[in-house]
Amino acid sequence: MTVIRLIAWREYMDNVRTRGFWIGILLIPVMLIGMYLVQSSLARTSPIRYYMLIDQSGDYRGAVDSAIELEYQRQVLQAFVNYLLDNRKERDLELTAVNATNAADQLVEDVGASDAAALSEWIDSGGLDFALTLTAPYLREDAPPFVSPRRSFIEAPLPDEVDTSAPPGRIVEQLRPYLRGDQDVTVNGVSGELFALILIPENVNQHILRPGVMPAEPGNRYAGVQYWGRNQADPRLSNAVERSINASIRNDEFARNGVSTTLINTIQRTRLPVAKLDPLANEGEEAVSMADTFRQYAPMMFVYFMFIALMQSVQYLLTNTIEEKSNRILEVLLASVTPNELLMGKMLGIGLGSLTTLAAWLLTLFLFLTLYDSAETNTLADIIGITLSSGLVPWFLFYCLAGYALYAGIFLAIGSLCNTLKEAQGLMVPVIVAMIIPITVTPFVVMDPNGSAFRAMSWFPLFTPYLMMNRAASNPPLIDVVGTTLVLVASIALVLWLSGRVFRQGLLRTGQPPRTLELLRMLTSRS
Amino acid sequence: MLEPVLTLENVSKTYGEFTAVDKINLQIPRGSVYGFLGPNGAGKTTTLRMILDIIRPTSGRIAILGKPSALHVRQRIGYLPEEKGLYKKMRVNGLIAYFARLKGLDKKAAARRADQLLSSYGLSDFSSARVEALSKGMSQKVQVLAAVAHDPELVILDEPFSGLDPVNQQVLESLIRNLSANNQTVIFSTHIMEHAERLCDQILLITNGKKIFDGTVAEARELIPRRVMLETASDVSGLQQLDSVARVSAAEDEAGVDPRWWVEITGNAHPQDILKYCFDTDIALNRFEYAEPSLHDVFVDLVGASAGEHRFR
Repeated sequence: MTVIRLIAWREYMDNVRTRGFWIGILLIPVMLIGMYLVQSSLARTSPIRYYMLIDQSGDYRGAVDSAIELEYQRQVLQAFVNYLLDNRKERDLELTAVNATNAADQLVEDVGASDAAALSEWIDSGGLDFALTLTAPYLREDAPPFVSPRRSFIEAPLPDEVDTSAPPGRIVEQLRPYLRGDQDVTVNGVSGELFALILIPENVNQHILRPGVMPAEPGNRYAGVQYWGRNQADPRLSNAVERSINASIRNDEFARNGVSTTLINTIQRTRLPVAKLDPLANEGEEAVSMADTFRQYAPMMFVYFMFIALMQSVQYLLTNTIEEKSNRILEVLLASVTPNELLMGKMLGIGLGSLTTLAAWLLTLFLFLTLYDSAETNTLADIIGITLSSGLVPWFLFYCLAGYALYAGIFLAIGSLCNTLKEAQGLMVPVIVAMIIPITVTPFVVMDPNGSAFRAMSWFPLFTPYLMMNRAASNPPLIDVVGTTLVLVASIALVLWLSGRVFRQGLLRTGQPPRTLELLRMLTSRS
Repeated sequence: MLEPVLTLENVSKTYGEFTAVDKINLQIPRGSVYGFLGPNGAGKTTTLRMILDIIRPTSGRIAILGKPSALHVRQRIGYLPEEKGLYKKMRVNGLIAYFARLKGLDKKAAARRADQLLSSYGLSDFSSARVEALSKGMSQKVQVLAAVAHDPELVILDEPFSGLDPVNQQVLESLIRNLSANNQTVIFSTHIMEHAERLCDQILLITNGKKIFDGTVAEARELIPRRVMLETASDVSGLQQLDSVARVSAAEDEAGVDPRWWVEITGNAHPQDILKYCFDTDIALNRFEYAEPSLHDVFVDLVGASAGEHRFR
């Protein structure tokens, strides 16, 4: 036992001394957090887009203006919901539309349920001013004042030389330096690039398409509203324009056909909610909240975490053994320790290294969530809280350890047979595939945790840790739990025993890795 | 004879058709320095590995320090394998202490022993250097020290001299002598006869897996006849008549001004007899040379042609 402890400790210290270990511990969390911060800040500071609008038909300026206003109100609403999430008195993911009791929560839930409906409600009821009054009592005392997001789309004035009554082709020609980005537009003293030109030709209404009627000029690529812009990757403006112009045309059509547009609007906002209910919950708590959804997906988080943890440790185990083998250290060790002691020592030491890495990651995550206070991190913290309180942690620990023992045994045996990583690749492939299959099915297992295919797969020991972890939240049949555990434990014992033999013979091997037959002989021979 | 530390009885190792070691019998007395001599691929390393129970013999019996397997007494054995390697990232003193601890020394004793060994063998300056910073010869010395750090009763060194410069070979020789003086048994393998000649009480000569001799160096020397070399233009055929002469042959490979001759002398005869006869019969000598046969001569004589055919496994 002392010898195993010595080996394990040396392996651990050796691991800790490598640059890779610290890169793993420091760089990965830094990168992930950095990515997260960059992403969220990018989302928050979307650039200002300047556009020009020329409406020769005179029919659609109003529609475009209101579309842009609507788009802005959508942003304000979204920002306001985030503001509420950050600053309301109580945060509770157990909330549902049914049990939301105050105006702030109600608004958040409404937006969650249907943003289109919530947006028109928002505009009808008076927008931000009304919302601020309504929710003020439910905000924290120290909440900062709400700052509206800046407008993303601003109309730029036309240059004086442009004659708005000229043919569209001529107008485009005159504006081309702006459209190309060679010349900037200036709005209220701030200059910027022209994002788009919306050009509505005089005869645009001839090109309205109706079902069953031939287009007026088939094949004319300039027919209809012209949207000129270099950046077509941001579709918000073109979509808003298209939606609002079409809404306006349809309103005209309704009017022409004697249908009330108010009636249509009312009808369009009519909806029937679908209540998601959980039959296993107590009476009165059946409504499915965000928390319930997270709880169902919690095993997935554990499975992915387990995968990352196992992948990194067994890889290290493999490269470490190969390195030791090619360094010719093993023979000295074998005069001092038995192959099994070496195997156990390595498994322990490297397992400990992986635990350290994981612990460091968790600590970083914890510090990040504690120190960086925002709606997103708070939500993340809540999700993690729910995951941890779901009673799955003991399962996770068990399957993680079992998975490690099983895979580590296999990878150590492979390492002992190969002198280079390249040689090991061939032997590794089947094991890696076995490791990846349960990961690829993870999302499907969540949807059908006790489906017969997944039940059957759970009995294959290499899959067991992942699949049973994945199914742990959905009350798998007792026979599955007990049976697969027994098979798993027996397999671990067998794998470690066999690895011990391969390890013993593989350690002193030089040259090519063995062929299948030779490998079989190693497993069965007495010496 | 003292109680043997190691006994091999009919020990063989075969790999499929190939016989690496063929029915070796051996007894090694306590406190002796024992040399395993043989050409490359003779089976020295395989035999040593079997002694250490790193590989199991195909047949035969081994008793080491009174036990059937080295694993039972591994704390009393020190081993330096032929393929030398160390943990590159470890510090020299830490590494020696680590191996000592694997052999059962406690933390403090191991550290103390490492420092003591390093200073005895002139390596104190490198005590806290990383192994990767050492030269090949130096790291080999460190590995030898790691093998003996726990003061084992039996030290097994496989090709300990290979790769060392003459100065370090001297250091290693004195280390082996120190061990022997301390009543520790040393077994080492080599194909450089001079080391064996200087150090060994007893030797084992093997080739192609077979033992061809074991015994003291003096006994080995007696295996081949003593001889005198003469260089003369005179007729030497008369020498053949002497009782003290076994055989006279032309030394074709030895070039001189005049022809050279090997005169093999019988068991108890004295070279003086030959010289006297030459004076008496007016044989004009340009050269008269007598030397005890070296282990090298014995080796070449016994291993002969097969030494040239390197067999690779």
